[in-house]
Amino acid sequence: MKGVRSNKMEHLAPLLNLGGFRLDLSALFMIVLSSLVVLILCRLAVRNLSVENPGKLQNFLEWVVEFVQGIIGQAMDFKKGKPYLALGLTLILYIFVSNMLGLPIGIVTEAHDADHATFFGMHLFVTGEHEHLAFTWWKSPTADASMTMALALIVIVLSHVQGLRHNTKHYLQHYTHNPNVVFLPIHLIEIVSKPLTLGLRLFGNIFAGEVMIGVILGMGWVGIPAMLLWQGFSIFVGAIQSFVFTMLTMVYISQAIVHEESH
Amino acid sequence: MNFLWENFLIQLVAFAVLFFLLQRYAFKPLFGVMEKRRQMVLEQMENAQKNRDEANQYIEEQKQALQQARKEAYDIIEQAKSTGSKQADEILAAARSEASRLKEEALRDIESEKNKAVAALKAQVSGLSVLIASKIIEKQVDEQTQQQLVEQYLQEVGNKS
Repeated sequence: MKGVRSNKMEHLAPLLNLGGFRLDLSALFMIVLSSLVVLILCRLAVRNLSVENPGKLQNFLEWVVEFVQGIIGQAMDFKKGKPYLALGLTLILYIFVSNMLGLPIGIVTEAHDADHATFFGMHLFVTGEHEHLAFTWWKSPTADASMTMALALIVIVLSHVQGLRHNTKHYLQHYTHNPNVVFLPIHLIEIVSKPLTLGLRLFGNIFAGEVMIGVILGMGWVGIPAMLLWQGFSIFVGAIQSFVFTMLTMVYISQAIVHEESH
Repeated sequence: MNFLWENFLIQLVAFAVLFFLLQRYAFKPLFGVMEKRRQMVLEQMENAQKNRDEANQYIEEQKQALQQARKEAYDIIEQAKSTGSKQADEILAAARSEASRLKEEALRDIESEKNKAVAALKAQVSGLSVLIASKIIEKQVDEQTQQQLVEQYLQEVGNKS
């Protein structure tokens, strides 16, 4: 584990330029890793499915399922929300695992100038001028705004699509008739602000947590108690954020699909 | 930080893939099992309810049967008591009537015996008196008086006819 040596130094993402497509190797690596962890966890949990005598992992996964069922049940009528159970589960598991992955370790490689920064012989893509290059290889996928925004966009687009499909009349009417057409700009702002807040909240929390870890690492040995505290708090924040993201997902979907008199 | 649309795209695809893989290989069987368990629990609860109802019914039936048996036993005892006393009464009455009958019979026998005895005594007494009278008469009546008597008797008979 290597710490931040100076505050001036900026951690860069190791990018490969593949004909205009800037492939972020660390992002790809961490996304695949998080997905694999979730997938393997779930596969292990359902390996020996049993109705009467569930194993520990199966029990755990069933607890998660019931937890998500509770979240959906709070947001809307569970009969309507049942199709989103798998989505909520995937979200909460993926985000939680992602949030946790960035906490325990950090892998940073350093290069003295852009010419020496390579990945298996391929030159890494560096923008701007840097005295000293440090590439972050290990971080939470959710500590990157472009990735949390992808998740947020999936959710928001889904909510609008489902609103249009299952609740067409009221979904369209709520823009102009809630309470009247004067409020249309507010509804339009809401359309934009929802994915922004959803994605940036998650990113901000996790990114801030990782920055803080970096700062505490810079304190050296003195920072160990602070590190312990902050790691614990980050676990808490990571759990809460995965919960909040799933909760808001269900709330947005329910706002779109459930026909209510007032929003 | 800078926003990389490539990362955005990767995440989009990765999440979609993860979702479908999880859906297909993990959640579907898990939901199936959970649903099955829910059914099982429901079934067992129903069964338990049914069993409890049945048990209650049986207890009720048993109680009623016990009550019935008790009542029957009481009735039988009562009946036995009443028949017993009735029989005793009958026997007593029969004995009484028998006794009175015997007494009456005895009284009648005594009466008739007495009458017989009286009659026999009367006859004997009359015979004795005739004998005594004849003995006395034999001594006092001579041949002349006897003749006179016979003639008188004959005369009486002749007058009557």
